[in-house]
Amino acid sequence: MSESAAILSSEAVAAPRVAYPPGDLAIWIFILAELLVFAIFFASYAFARLNDVELFNHYQATLDRDAALINTLALITSSYFVMRGVVAARDGDNGLCARWLWAAVAMGGVFLVIKLVEYAHHLGAGVSLSTNTFYMFYLSLTFFHFLHVILGMVILTALALKARHGGYSRDDHVGVESGASYWHMVDLVWLILFPLVYVMR
Amino acid sequence: MNGLSTSRILLRPCTWVYVALMALTVVTWAVGRAGLSGLGLSMLVLGLALLKGGLVGDWFMGLRQVGGTWRWVVIIWLLIPGSLIAIAFMLSYVN
Repeated sequence: MSESAAILSSEAVAAPRVAYPPGDLAIWIFILAELLVFAIFFASYAFARLNDVELFNHYQATLDRDAALINTLALITSSYFVMRGVVAARDGDNGLCARWLWAAVAMGGVFLVIKLVEYAHHLGAGVSLSTNTFYMFYLSLTFFHFLHVILGMVILTALALKARHGGYSRDDHVGVESGASYWHMVDLVWLILFPLVYVMR
Repeated sequence: MNGLSTSRILLRPCTWVYVALMALTVVTWAVGRAGLSGLGLSMLVLGLALLKGGLVGDWFMGLRQVGGTWRWVVIIWLLIPGSLIAIAFMLSYVN
C-alpha cells in the first residue's frame, strides 16, 4: 500500500461517527417498515417451500438466471452511482450529483426492461399467480419489488431534477441522502431475493 | 475533518466494495448456472447474500459511520430473514 493510500485508509477508519443514519429519520422509519414486510415475504417463501420442495426446485429451473444476474449487477451499479451522487451533493457539486443520479435511473431502467421481458415470457407461457405455489411467490415477490424500483426511480428523478437546478449544497443535502437510502434499500432487498428465488435449492 | 473530506475519503473503499459486490454476485450466479444444489451450497449462497447486504448497509447506506442502535439496523434485519431462511432450508434437507 502506498503512503497516500495508507493515509486515506487510516483517515477513513477515523471518520467521525454520527448519531443518526444519513437522510431524514422519517425515511428510515419507512425503510424499516418496508424491510419488515420483505422479511415476512422471504420467510414465507422459505417455509412454504417445505410443503413441496420438488415443485419449487422444478419450477425454479424455469427462471432465467442470466437475466437475474444482469439485473443484480444493474441494481448494485445503480446503488454505487447513487452513492457517488450523494458524495457530489455533499461537496456542493450539483451538476455532478445530477449526472450520477441520472446514471442510476438508467440502471434502474435496465432492471425494469429485463424484468418486463421475463414477465412477458412467463405470461406468454400461460403462467399466472394461480399456476402453482412457486409461481405465486415468484410473481408476487418480484412484482412487489418491481413496484419499489419504479418508486425509487421516480424519487431519483425528482432528486436529479432538483440537483440540476442547484438544489443542494454542502449544508443542505438531506433530501438526496434520504432518497439514496431508499434506493439502497431496494438494492438490499434484491440481494436477498435473487439467491433465494433464483439459486438456492 | 469536515463532511467534504470524509465523503471523498470514503470513495475509494466504496469503490472496492462495489467491485466485491459484483464479484460475489457472479459467484452466486455461477452456483445457480451450474445447477449445483445441496444444503452446504445453499448456506454458502445465503451467507454471500448476507455479506453483500452488510456491505451495502455499511458502505453505501453509510451506517458504518453511525453510532448506537442505528449502526446495526441493517445487520439485524439481515439476520432475521437470514436465520429463518437457513432454518427452513435445513428442515427441507432433514425431511
